[in-house]
Amino acid sequence: MKKRGMESSLAEHSAPLIAKIERRLFLKQGLSLGAIALLSGCELTEDDTVQKVLTSMSRWNDSAQAWLFNPNKLAPEYPESAITKPFPFNAYYGENEIRTVDGSSYKLELAGLIRDKRPWGLPELYALPQTSQITRHICVEGWSAIGKWSGVRFSTFLERIGADTSAKYIGFKCGDDYYSSIDMATALHPQTLLTLRYADQILPPKYGFPVKLRIPTKLGFKNPKHVMAMYVTNTYPGGYWEDKGYNWFSGS
Amino acid sequence: MPGMQPLRALVVAALLASGFCAYGADSSSTPGKPMKMDDPMPIKMKKPGMKKGDVKKAAEKKEREMKAMMDKESAGGEKK
Repeated sequence: MKKRGMESSLAEHSAPLIAKIERRLFLKQGLSLGAIALLSGCELTEDDTVQKVLTSMSRWNDSAQAWLFNPNKLAPEYPESAITKPFPFNAYYGENEIRTVDGSSYKLELAGLIRDKRPWGLPELYALPQTSQITRHICVEGWSAIGKWSGVRFSTFLERIGADTSAKYIGFKCGDDYYSSIDMATALHPQTLLTLRYADQILPPKYGFPVKLRIPTKLGFKNPKHVMAMYVTNTYPGGYWEDKGYNWFSGS
Repeated sequence: MPGMQPLRALVVAALLASGFCAYGADSSSTPGKPMKMDDPMPIKMKKPGMKKGDVKKAAEKKEREMKAMMDKESAGGEKK
């Protein structure tokens, strides 16, 4: 009788835990299924209906990843000795085709749900409180590299401009025509950086002069370079690679 | 050779000046080659048939779509 009492007590206590584990397993399996479905989609068919289903699955996947995202969990940071030299260049164009941006006339344009849409020049950005991080850039192609990035904590910048942080998305337009967007939780993450320097030097063109968004909790293609404009919105903005089937959230 | 001193100083000054110019160019803009829009992308992420010029076209299309929706959003036409 005593044993049965203990069992029932254990069952009572473990029921919520089991439910939690089952929910996590369901989510993990769901995410895996989503990923497999997307991978299959790359090869099997370009049929519209299939694409719509896969897109819906990917969006569901985004929601699940956003739900699992812990805004307080930090990406690992490394010592200077771990920095990858040279840090690789990667873009949809060659290194000899890097777009040039004139720093003297540069203005970061702001739009959407932002109280103060006044554009920001480089001297103003350099004058904001700066922080550094040595973090790993992970590319969806399967390689990674560690670099030292410095700039303004993005949450600080969002606060300065009066961004509506209850909005869902922040979109970015880049000087090389690239575009992408992120979720607000990631934008407010303490390691998300409006990057102005690499290895303690003004950001070189190949790493995104004059401004790059560095997000160590996301894959490399979610780290736009040559950022010329940003907007805060509740309308899903997608992105170049994201609209081509790559997972939008792409983070942890 | 005391007569060489001003010349040496001039050469040093010219070298320093060119160094400063190079620094300035590096920190603001180094002219790159124009992008060959019809060439395939040199990136492993690409899917078959993707060309460099596709990004610009997609960006212009996205700009139009987002502008219309954000105008509506600003006017309070859309709820969160």
